[in-house]
Amino acid sequence: MKKLIVIAVLFLAQTITAQNYKFGKVSEEELLEKSHPDYPEAVAAILYSKKQVSFQYYQGRGFVQNNEVHQRIKIYTKEGFDYATKMISLYQGESSSSREEVKGLKAYTYNLEGGKIVKDKLTKSGIFDEETSKYRSTTKFTMPNIKEGCIIEFEYIVQSPFTSIDDVTFQQLIPIKRMELKVSTPEYYKYSKILNPRASFVPTIEETTERGQITLTSKARAVSQRVVSKTINSTRTIDYKANVIMSTMDNIPPLKDENYVDNLSNYQAKLILELEEIAWPDEPIKYLSTSWEKVTKTIYDDSDFGDQLKKNNYYEDDLNALLSGVPETDLPQRAAIVFNHVKSKVKWNDYYGYTSEQGVAKAYKQGTGNSGDINLMLTSMLRYAGLDANPVLVSTKSNGIPLIPTRSGFNYVITAVSLDDSTILLDATRKFTTANILPTNSLNWLGRLIKEDGSSGWVDLIPKITSNESVSLNVKLSSDLSASGKVRHQFTNYQAKNIRNRFDNYNNEEIIKSLEKDKGEIDITELELEHMYDINEAVSESYSYVLNNAMEDIGGNLYVTPLLFLASKENPFKEDVRSYPIDFVYPIADKYMVNVMIPEGYTVESLPESVKYQFNGADGEFTYLSKLNGNFIQFSVSLDLNKTLILPEEYQQFKEFYQLMIEKQTEQVVLKKI
Amino acid sequence: MAQEELLLQSLLIPSELRENANAIVRLENTEIEIIAVDKMIYKNKRIVTILNSSADSKHGAYMHYDENTSIKKLEAKIYSQQGKEIKKFRKNDFNDRSAVEGGTLYSDSRVKYLGYTPINYPYTVVFETEVEYRSTAFIPSWQPIEGYHTSSQNVSYNILNTSGIDLKIKASNFEDYNIEKHNENHYSAENLKALKYESYSPPFSDFAPLLKASLIQFNMEGVEGRNTNWNDFGKWMNDKLIQGTQELPQHLIDEVKHLTANAQSNLEKAKIVYQYMQNRTRYISVQVGIGGWKPMLASDVNRLGYGDCKGLTNYTKAMLDELGVETYYTVIYGGRDIRNIDESFSSVQGNHVILCVPDESDYVWLECTSQTVPFAYNANFTDDRDALIITPEGGKIVHTKVYKTEDNLLDTQAAINLDNSGNISAEVISKSYGTQYGQHEGKENFSVKDQILAYKEYWNYINGLDVSEMNYLNDKDSIVFTETVKVSAERYAAKAGNRLLLQPNLFNRIDSAPNRYDERTLPFEVDRGFVDTDRYEIKIPNTLQVEALMNPVSIETKFGTYNASISQISEDTLVYEREFIMHKGNYTKEEYDAFRAFWLDVVKYDKSKIVLKPNS
Repeated sequence: MKKLIVIAVLFLAQTITAQNYKFGKVSEEELLEKSHPDYPEAVAAILYSKKQVSFQYYQGRGFVQNNEVHQRIKIYTKEGFDYATKMISLYQGESSSSREEVKGLKAYTYNLEGGKIVKDKLTKSGIFDEETSKYRSTTKFTMPNIKEGCIIEFEYIVQSPFTSIDDVTFQQLIPIKRMELKVSTPEYYKYSKILNPRASFVPTIEETTERGQITLTSKARAVSQRVVSKTINSTRTIDYKANVIMSTMDNIPPLKDENYVDNLSNYQAKLILELEEIAWPDEPIKYLSTSWEKVTKTIYDDSDFGDQLKKNNYYEDDLNALLSGVPETDLPQRAAIVFNHVKSKVKWNDYYGYTSEQGVAKAYKQGTGNSGDINLMLTSMLRYAGLDANPVLVSTKSNGIPLIPTRSGFNYVITAVSLDDSTILLDATRKFTTANILPTNSLNWLGRLIKEDGSSGWVDLIPKITSNESVSLNVKLSSDLSASGKVRHQFTNYQAKNIRNRFDNYNNEEIIKSLEKDKGEIDITELELEHMYDINEAVSESYSYVLNNAMEDIGGNLYVTPLLFLASKENPFKEDVRSYPIDFVYPIADKYMVNVMIPEGYTVESLPESVKYQFNGADGEFTYLSKLNGNFIQFSVSLDLNKTLILPEEYQQFKEFYQLMIEKQTEQVVLKKI
Repeated sequence: MAQEELLLQSLLIPSELRENANAIVRLENTEIEIIAVDKMIYKNKRIVTILNSSADSKHGAYMHYDENTSIKKLEAKIYSQQGKEIKKFRKNDFNDRSAVEGGTLYSDSRVKYLGYTPINYPYTVVFETEVEYRSTAFIPSWQPIEGYHTSSQNVSYNILNTSGIDLKIKASNFEDYNIEKHNENHYSAENLKALKYESYSPPFSDFAPLLKASLIQFNMEGVEGRNTNWNDFGKWMNDKLIQGTQELPQHLIDEVKHLTANAQSNLEKAKIVYQYMQNRTRYISVQVGIGGWKPMLASDVNRLGYGDCKGLTNYTKAMLDELGVETYYTVIYGGRDIRNIDESFSSVQGNHVILCVPDESDYVWLECTSQTVPFAYNANFTDDRDALIITPEGGKIVHTKVYKTEDNLLDTQAAINLDNSGNISAEVISKSYGTQYGQHEGKENFSVKDQILAYKEYWNYINGLDVSEMNYLNDKDSIVFTETVKVSAERYAAKAGNRLLLQPNLFNRIDSAPNRYDERTLPFEVDRGFVDTDRYEIKIPNTLQVEALMNPVSIETKFGTYNASISQISEDTLVYEREFIMHKGNYTKEEYDAFRAFWLDVVKYDKSKIVLKPNS
């Protein structure tokens, strides 16, 4: 009985607030609303969003995709004015049959003026078509008469000759009051579908079917043996089944934005559709993406991929010369020669892609190529040199994590080499990448390794090797409150790569300026950097320093932070709660050995205590050891972070761990006069 | 030719040109031929050696164009370090895209640019272009040193003027550099060393050589103009660009008349109209043809509810005209950096338009592109600079409002409670005025989460800061922004043995000083002065007593002054007071060390500690 009442009440509530979503039927009530009832901070809200994807058959052109959009948006504040401008990006292929087009654009702004609804039409002067690049054009429009409280409404159709359907997003940075979706696809195209499982909002979808019809008009010539011919016009219709995905939802919460998120769209509620097979009547089924195995095979069979691995005449001579004299058994050496050769010979043109853009031979000759050109060439050359090398398909962080078997789920390729039972990942596109040190954007979860026979399997891309920073700091304190001494840092793996990227293009003076920044009254001299460009070695950085006002004299006692300018003073984690994980990308081990010489005439009054803090067992560990040794105080401070992904539910604990660590680093030694 | 071949080799660059350089302009010849008021040919050949990836864009191989520009020649060749040709780009090999800048929705201006991926460094780019312009309003200027970290080996600039129209030339800062004058319109220079960036440097064009040229009669996108001096240039703008754009519908005129019926003064009317405009428009920039310089019709702005700086300014002006309030359309350089319209050289200048309202002997400046800025507030973007006002009689250069040191005040007051574990809780009230108002008031429009994060960033030296309550009062009439914030932090006072170390400057700490330079090469400036005052009352628990307080500090320099002190006014109450004044000023490079020393002192004293110990 109780249940029934709840339903009745809900029903009542719905009827009261029921809106008319027909285009143009904007109500006074909607215009009067001052803020969103559930999300009062929202700068705007989508009152209604209708999206319909369908396919229509045109004789001579085949199926054309129609993407119908109708949106009604309420703008609450001036910060929401940006929602009054809309940009529609369209693909522009070379031929007219490969261009997307906007049709039937119609839009109005509604305002309440003196109790009356006033509407303003979007006219041509507010619509702009821009040739954005070789392959893209953008239709832009901005609405007239935008004021706080107004409502805009627009509808249009994007007509596309392609079968691929854009991801349907259910969630935006502003709330959606009602959304209606219908995707209808002819039975000949079979799409697989998935809802983003990482999104905290879960949309409900239903599936059903409907009828579709193709009308064909044909001119046939009836030919018999004696009669010459006559033309017969005939119309034929073909009925087909269409698969339909529908969804109607109310009150969709906005997507939360946050710092340190690799890619917000990874957490957005969305429906992803991928064409997995094409089955025309009386034709064999064409399988495209039924499984990862199949996707990989399709990619491998693409001439811009598989064939590129087979070509070797363009580099044969160069490589033979380089490898001559290197024993065929010395595989690591041969791999290194090939890797360095590709890096020095071909530079990355900043374009992503897993297929070759211009053909490996041309890229080799020109000296530039996209990631496909470079790493497929690398794989091929490694094989030529006798190594077991294979391409690995990757989805970069900005491309998101592939959720269902899709070809577009990948956008990058790297190379895997098996050496002594271990797999080494290589990427020859950047200056400072080396064995297992890849561009961080490509370290996204899993990659798909394709073998020469076309079979494939997953490879874990998340770095397991620790990247270290080891520091030794010598501190001589003087009674004039200054400190001086020498520092030596050593960086390995990803930390070394960071240092190389940071100081590349800097001269000595610029490096010193960069090191002196935010370190107080410091004067750095005798800077030495070793192995900056020797990328298989750790980078070592050493310098001498004089730091004025390193200590403070308060009431005759001296106060000093032993880590001086190397102490972390600020906790970067400032948010109270997190909705998404924080990604540290690779495991870290930082170790500081500090040796402080007490100034003459002083003795230690108090020392920071030795401590050890842990996060989640051994996932994170901070140790701080202090020891008095005659005239010296020795500190050993270390941070180990073994877990690279901090989940939202662990955030609070992690933030506290960081907090304690930072407070400890700022603790002071107190010295008093003897 | 043989000499040019040498330039293609990167190995033969004189070492003095490599010093501080990421790119070296080996050769640049600019030749401009002015044939008629609507015909100008620009020819440029440049050879640039690029030493590292930070200078990849310095090849300068790009060309903007629109329908009044035809590119006759566009060609680039890339040479290796040894001077071997690696690659050649013809006109069709250049990339082409819309030249929309950030903040602009649409522009008909496009750009063709070189998309080359360097294979090795150094490399050399030879770029040649020839362009025919129908507009002669914008004659390319000459910068013998193109920017920081770029040196010039052999550069020249020559204008051939056969149009019969007088050409004006102005060379600035040539005297300190080795630049040869061949005749009034022809200059060349050799071996100009690279300049390196140093903090607090004045804008580059203030000290680097620059040559500007303009015709006294010109064509701008099909409209002819006159420019013997600012007066007739302004007259031209008024007659050809502004007049005829200001008609408004009668109902609007009636409405603003009604709204201002009770206004006592012109300024009051201007304020009402300004706020009316702010409430019904927004900034949208569309630049097409002469529309880059001519405002859109005031009636269109009224109908559409949007416009760019020109459109919104002109719309506001049109309404005030109807009320009989005199105002001037004003052309200016907008930006944080202070840049003047050159009073002594009339030409097409400026990148922004605002409205000037004369008020007795002074002027009030209205920024019409913002929906929120208070009436007559123009700090941080159009303040303290020469601008061109357009009056019906002609153009005139006037200086915009200067925000004086004492006007730019941030006053912070706090009541702080300390407990015996070193935890603090506090209520902080800060009021900002003048330029500092603009740096604070934006917070009001943030989401609550971002407001909290903004305070955590602002007081980033207080670890574990918790912000529990925020209240804002934005008084747009007297232009004061008041923030009242409740905060707390655990273990703010650090333990040292059984003592507590407390930094009494909790809420306004300078924690870094300007960079150190072994040898400063450029003069420096503080472009806007300011005053910060602070007063914090700190209550300490009766379980603690003061062991040591900091001694009062008072520093006076030509750059500014600093005073800080702490006193115990009762057994449990300490009062910390601080005043930091930085004056506006221009200084020589020799004074930099003293300037930095002053900042270092401020940093040092701002983190002074006091020591508390348990009552035993």
